[in-house]
Amino acid sequence: MQYHEMEMRAVYGITLNELMDEDPNVVCVEADLSKASGTNPEVPKKHPMNFINVGVAEANMISLGAGLAAEGKIPFCASFTCFASRRVYDQITISVAYANNNVKIVGTAPGITAGPNGGTHMCFQDLAIMRAMPNMHVYSPADAYELRAVLRHMATHRQPTYMQLIRSRVVPLFGEGYVFEPGKAVLIRKGGDVTLVSTGYMTQFALKAARELETIGIHAELLHCPSVKPFDTEGMVASARKTGGVVTVETQNIIGGLGGAVCEVLSEHWPVPVQRLGIPDRFGETATETYLFNKHGFGPRHIIDACMAMKERKLH
Amino acid sequence: MNDALGMSNPFDREEYDRLATQFRYIITDIICRAGSGHLGGALSLVEIIISLYGRIMRVDPKHPRWEDRDRLVLSKGHAAPVLYAALAWKGFFPNAWLPTLNADGTRLPSHADARTVPGIDMTTGSLGQGLSAACGIALAGRMNNRTYRTFCIIGDGESNEGQVWEAALFAAHWKLDTLTAICDYNKLQIDGFTRDVLELEPLAEKWRSFGWEVFEMNGHDWEDIHQTIHRALQVKGKPSMIIAHTIKSKGHPLTENRPESHNIKVPDEAAYRKFMACFADNGVKAPY
Repeated sequence: MQYHEMEMRAVYGITLNELMDEDPNVVCVEADLSKASGTNPEVPKKHPMNFINVGVAEANMISLGAGLAAEGKIPFCASFTCFASRRVYDQITISVAYANNNVKIVGTAPGITAGPNGGTHMCFQDLAIMRAMPNMHVYSPADAYELRAVLRHMATHRQPTYMQLIRSRVVPLFGEGYVFEPGKAVLIRKGGDVTLVSTGYMTQFALKAARELETIGIHAELLHCPSVKPFDTEGMVASARKTGGVVTVETQNIIGGLGGAVCEVLSEHWPVPVQRLGIPDRFGETATETYLFNKHGFGPRHIIDACMAMKERKLH
Repeated sequence: MNDALGMSNPFDREEYDRLATQFRYIITDIICRAGSGHLGGALSLVEIIISLYGRIMRVDPKHPRWEDRDRLVLSKGHAAPVLYAALAWKGFFPNAWLPTLNADGTRLPSHADARTVPGIDMTTGSLGQGLSAACGIALAGRMNNRTYRTFCIIGDGESNEGQVWEAALFAAHWKLDTLTAICDYNKLQIDGFTRDVLELEPLAEKWRSFGWEVFEMNGHDWEDIHQTIHRALQVKGKPSMIIAHTIKSKGHPLTENRPESHNIKVPDEAAYRKFMACFADNGVKAPY
């Protein structure tokens, strides 16, 4: 079975095992959600000594990770995004980022992918709050191959990092040999009419939208940002200079996340109209993806509409 | 062999008493020079910290990151001035750094900082996190086949934090017997006496029921401290908690056992003289 045929969480578990084979300092830390993260049973089966389950105690997990990291371990601490980011924001801020401890935090089931768990578990602000933390890198890989490259980078670079992990299977966008570079956006499609910027889970839908736009003669440039921080200012500005209008899409609150990062960069370096798609400052709810796309206006259809509108808007 | 403060290695009560007075002078002086600071919670730890660095912990000031050194996490990071006094005494950094506490660009910030201070093993300051970090350090020691011991000092007010009890469960479950925690039980927190703000009693029973070996000691008695910590270090199969009965701002009559001692304000020269008055007749001098 190829990686893109697997659930992303299974790829996470497999890749962690590989990284542990290569470096025994890599440690898997879980907070009673190890099956949901995709590490259990594979990781404890292969590397029982490198698997630590702290129970339902996320605060302890993060500061414990800091202690492990201070002694040269490379802990990957995972939980649902809501618990891996907002619940432990101070622990991450002080024990990890401020103290500069090499802890890797993995937030699973980002944004609306928390689906059936509903509003309490849908975290729409993790990219925003983690991005606002000094000394923290923030990644959101979009497919299995990018995930593997990002994980390898995380295990081999000393850097406090937060990464979103999609749990489900995702259509392949890249392939073996994909190289991840922090602070670099990936130009998935070239185009001159409008720049479409996406990250993580939404990139597959952005690509779908860009392809459809092509059929009606609108050439969208698709810029995928696996590294939300550091952000690719140069790549963003270059594309905005070319197209003159930008649409962003993410499964996050439009305040402060990827859209926020794009607006910050462009307003300072190359002001052009920007339309942010995502969750318009609302909480989540138990619902299907289609329902939430339609309710909040950020599915493929809405991306197409926004790009068409942007093409018109930027001319005036 | 004498160190920077003229301290000889074998235990000598008079010398240790003199050293404790000097520590209290230094701590009060550098906090007063800074204009404000956490006096009470630093003074309550003087004998414990001196005992740890003078008689118990294996450290090497010339090699602050020596892999087999004993680790200390000062989870109540606001007591950093007492730790800074000890690290300067041991020679981890020059005494001249001490009066730079909290000054612009200092390496000695109000809360313990491993990034800037040689000899500090974990950055702390947000209460509740240090015991978890100490668990990580102790567990990593086991994974790495290291023989170091891990000490962690938590506050009694800090014990209000839920994360302390998450770590308590964890350390017992993982049988972290190289971990020795000390609770500075001075019975005071910022807003008043612990019994009035949030009752901790029965504290020893709580830790015992969480699966820890529990000891109690007089945190100002040299022999009690020394013997109790050594007994804790012999424990196998579970972590140890030493509840240290202490007095907040011990040895500083103006603020001793008073809630206001938690963070004193020293706005001017007159206030400085008032806070330092108790040291006028005991002949101590600052080593900087």
